[in-house]
Amino acid sequence: MHLPPWFWMAAVVIISWGIVGLLQKLSTNHLPADSALIWLVVGFLLLEPLMYPGKALFHYSLRSLTWAVLSGIFNALGAWALLAAMYRGGKASIVSPLTALYPLIVALVAPVLLHESITLLQGLGVACALIAVVLLST
Amino acid sequence: MPIRDTLKARWFWYSLLCIFCWGGWALCSKLGSMEIPSMAMQFIFTLGTIPVALALLAGKGFRLEKSPLGIFYSVANGVLAGIGGLALFAAYRSGGSTSVITAATALYPMFTVVLAVLVLRERLTGLQVVGLIFAGAAIVIFSL
Repeated sequence: MHLPPWFWMAAVVIISWGIVGLLQKLSTNHLPADSALIWLVVGFLLLEPLMYPGKALFHYSLRSLTWAVLSGIFNALGAWALLAAMYRGGKASIVSPLTALYPLIVALVAPVLLHESITLLQGLGVACALIAVVLLST
Repeated sequence: MPIRDTLKARWFWYSLLCIFCWGGWALCSKLGSMEIPSMAMQFIFTLGTIPVALALLAGKGFRLEKSPLGIFYSVANGVLAGIGGLALFAAYRSGGSTSVITAATALYPMFTVVLAVLVLRERLTGLQVVGLIFAGAAIVIFSL
């Protein structure tokens, strides 16, 4: 059986991000959420040399750069909240899939903010997400 | 655990706060990536995480706990999250279907669940398992 190259890369994504969920819980067994987030950012910074885009960085519009920086701020705040949830006793097996439902916010806000319409399929996704939130919180 | 108990639990509200913040992250990422390529987005995004880390550090009076194991897990957390991001960019560039790759990789929390049950010995109720199935369905639908 011949598997396409993307399959192995996708497997790396699932395995690495899946392990991240476990490490989040393990880290908050030893550190409070704020310290765990600070060290997590250190981990991010270790990979910065691999991501450096070179001189192109100075050619993007201020508007796009602002959105990119804001995305980092929101991500870090969300990661801190996730770590706080685990530190406060949330199970990794519940908190990880629960917080992965964040596209629900995008689906609800995008029509207003980006003037995108919700498709029937996305509506089904919203319903599944809401049911999941209720069931996971039992 | 009855829903009433969960609604009193802080972890549940922190999880909802995470959903709202990451919703903002996804929206800002979408707006930023209209012009900026993914690798550069990841670089600038990381710069955006620094002020939050510095604010938390200042809130702690620039003193951190000395737990080598906790530090190791946290740094590994950041490195693995970044490696996963790089692998995702590489998968997109390899020519596969974007929607298939996005849907497949969005299922990573299910791998966490398997690890949490096997490694951390966490137990799930029948209703929570059904909830996981709905969460998996929602995650795949949103990523299409």
